[in-house]
Amino acid sequence: MLIRFWGTRGSLPVSLKAAAIRDKVIGALLAADGRRFADAVEAGAFVDGEIPFSTAQTYGGATSCVEIEAGPDAFIICDMGSGLREFGLDSMRRCAAGHPRVYHFFLSHLHWDHIMGFPFFVPAFVPGAKIVIHAGHADAEQALRRQQEEISFPVPFDYLRAEFEFRTLEPGTTYQIGAVAVSLIEQHHSHSSFGFRFAGPDGKTAVYSTDSEHKIDDMEGETDVVAFFADADLIVCDTMYSLADSVSMKEDWGHSSNIVVIDLCHEAAAKRLALFHHEPTYSDADIARMHSESIRYEELTRSGTPLEVLCAYDGLVVEI
Amino acid sequence: MAGGELGWTVDSRGTARIVAALGRIDERTSAAFGEGLAAEVAAAADDGKALVVIDLAGIEYMSSRGLRGLTLAQRRATERNVTVVLARPGETMREILAISRYDMVFKIHETIEAALAT
Repeated sequence: MLIRFWGTRGSLPVSLKAAAIRDKVIGALLAADGRRFADAVEAGAFVDGEIPFSTAQTYGGATSCVEIEAGPDAFIICDMGSGLREFGLDSMRRCAAGHPRVYHFFLSHLHWDHIMGFPFFVPAFVPGAKIVIHAGHADAEQALRRQQEEISFPVPFDYLRAEFEFRTLEPGTTYQIGAVAVSLIEQHHSHSSFGFRFAGPDGKTAVYSTDSEHKIDDMEGETDVVAFFADADLIVCDTMYSLADSVSMKEDWGHSSNIVVIDLCHEAAAKRLALFHHEPTYSDADIARMHSESIRYEELTRSGTPLEVLCAYDGLVVEI
Repeated sequence: MAGGELGWTVDSRGTARIVAALGRIDERTSAAFGEGLAAEVAAAADDGKALVVIDLAGIEYMSSRGLRGLTLAQRRATERNVTVVLARPGETMREILAISRYDMVFKIHETIEAALAT
């Protein structure tokens, strides 16, 4: 199973400004310390091996969109954030090479940052493409149509030429999408959100759980989350705020923290965690700091098998 | 008070109540920890104490549930005009408090005496 991250930011897309790129170039030049490189390959090896990711590259700025590749018959995509645009273009390339034009979307919820990419999803304009939108929300179609009303967008939903189907899913039921078994859990978020668990034919399991607040006055309820995460090969989880922020000024904002999620993953005996839904005000250095702190917290609190803590970025591909 | 695998000591000094849990605060002990803190905050308030010092010296490690228990205790304390401070974190607790940014929401003292001077 491959998990491709097309958008990993929360709330709002962001992009690097010129000053930030200038700082990165300065950092790289200082790290090179006068070294000369024979060619691009040699320079690339230096960049990849000796310069921190947050200096040499970027975590990106597109909002939530994660692809689960578990078979050749259909695309499976979690959420339609702004990262969906690039996925859509990539999928067109893959369809030109023979991939079926079948898309199964799983929407965590209907807030703007998780649906904003859909009006720019090119396959939706392609006659013969089949797009199935699965959601725990019965009003998913209403939300997508509304954002393409003329007051908000020049192309109405009814102009799209693909074949659409909307399916409302129920927590507690397992759905078969080709060879992938999908289940869902309701989460604490404004207007609710849903996490999804994908079990592939090879026995590998990935969980997508974003925009989920683990409430301070309902810690006992976390046993349900632990059960949903149990033994997963990869957990993609909202770790937007520090624990202190999540229980103080950002309480009831509907998001979680790295500390809580690592504890849940430990209890669930999950194998890997991808930190996700990054705060839009965080720079690459801020995200890197959060990542290193999370790795350290996992080390301090581990009592069994280590949990590998990754940090999602736009373009990351994880094989499980 | 009973705390399962959690040891617990309580001391009174002047206008302060000093409470110390011993062991690991994790998913097995966090509920007892939270209940214990709530009881101690209530006892302090009933006793006219203005300060509860949570002595962390005996705590090997605290999970997010334990940390959130501290927050709940702080909220209850604020409602009853009692201040909660932390004291004597070991190296592991010091790191956890920093990583969680709880060092921004609780005053942390190196000694009990410094905490009592709050």
